[in-house]
Amino acid sequence: MESTIAFDLVSPEQLVFKDKVGMIIIPGKEGDIGVLPGHSKFLSSLRPGRVLVYGENKNLLKSFFVSDGFVEINPEKCIILSEEVEELSALEKSSIEKRIQELENETSEASKREYLIVKSKVEALEAKYYEKI
Amino acid sequence: MANLKDLKLQINSVGSTKKITSAMKMVAASKLRRSQEKAESARPYSTRIEEMLSSLTSSNISGEGVIKLLKGTGKKENYLIVPVTADRGLCGGFNSSINRETFKYIKSLEKEGKKVNLITIGKKSRDFFTRSLKDKIIESFIDLGISGAGYDMAQQISNKIQKLYYDEKFDVCVLIYNQFKSAMTQTVTNQQLIPLDFEHKESENENIEVSNNSVYIYEPDESEILKDLLPKNVSIQIFKVLLESNAGEQGARMVAMDNATRNAGEMIDSLTLKYNRTRQAFITKELIEIISGAESV
Repeated sequence: MESTIAFDLVSPEQLVFKDKVGMIIIPGKEGDIGVLPGHSKFLSSLRPGRVLVYGENKNLLKSFFVSDGFVEINPEKCIILSEEVEELSALEKSSIEKRIQELENETSEASKREYLIVKSKVEALEAKYYEKI
Repeated sequence: MANLKDLKLQINSVGSTKKITSAMKMVAASKLRRSQEKAESARPYSTRIEEMLSSLTSSNISGEGVIKLLKGTGKKENYLIVPVTADRGLCGGFNSSINRETFKYIKSLEKEGKKVNLITIGKKSRDFFTRSLKDKIIESFIDLGISGAGYDMAQQISNKIQKLYYDEKFDVCVLIYNQFKSAMTQTVTNQQLIPLDFEHKESENENIEVSNNSVYIYEPDESEILKDLLPKNVSIQIFKVLLESNAGEQGARMVAMDNATRNAGEMIDSLTLKYNRTRQAFITKELIEIISGAESV
């Protein structure tokens, strides 16, 4: 069996990531999904969280934050569509926390939604993950 | 006979116009390349979402709320027309063809007894319809060019449209925009946004559908995913249209300015010819005067 799976991470503005990788961990709506080469056909929506991309020898290549979106998986390919994609290392905790404080005082529908997303950004930053599996 | 000085002035002013138009042409050409790149990079997302949608919609789902984006309200009484133009002029027939087409479309709908409302995108359509059909405009979105037609803008428009839809302000939403064929040609296109234009989509994606339809595992179930997917699809369709329209605008402007530059060049040539002839005529006339003066002495 192939030891890699093609992985595309797509936002409306650009193709963020496109390469062959060893494993991807995706924040599915009902729980994290680990995708290895040869995964069965699968379609799911996502919750805000982080996407971890591991290389062929299972070391962490990149980690992204996605706000929402969808994932489509078939044995050869995995595609994530998300409106907001950010590299996890580009996120700054202090500015996010400031944003949380601002949002806590607002009540509109849109700000509630953003609040949830920003909140999960912090969680994504703080959560433990394996550098190598 | 025209005054020499006047002719000289005219040549100079056409010359400076030519300089401006050729500069605008260059700017449009470079902007065109950039907006084409943008449209290019947005394509994977929109094609993917369409593919997902087509594999989902083949299963029969019914329900209230979001699903109505797909199936429609069951009526076709109230129309929401969204003409998409540019914020600036000087791009040939780009804006006026959209406005004309929209106007014609509205008139034909009204003849059938439908009610029509408008959301205009771009300054040029806003100005045009504020003059002619002011009471029908619900909202106008302008200044798309400044942000470079970003996804945020598309989302704002999409949210507004969806809100109106859930409030049952309209049954059918149609976008009218310039489809980008090439730098030379843009065609005015009517795209039905809500409810989703089914037959059209299915024929387009038939091959894909057959190959990957049957065996997907869905999590959560299909209708849940569809509920997330449909509003996204509306935004992404609008985003695509904005990008196409933006690329089309630059293309149209490039062509229009190219023509203008060429026309200015021709005009300078003919004016220069006229100037030289006039000058020659003056010289000849003076010579004749001198000679005939000398003869008479």
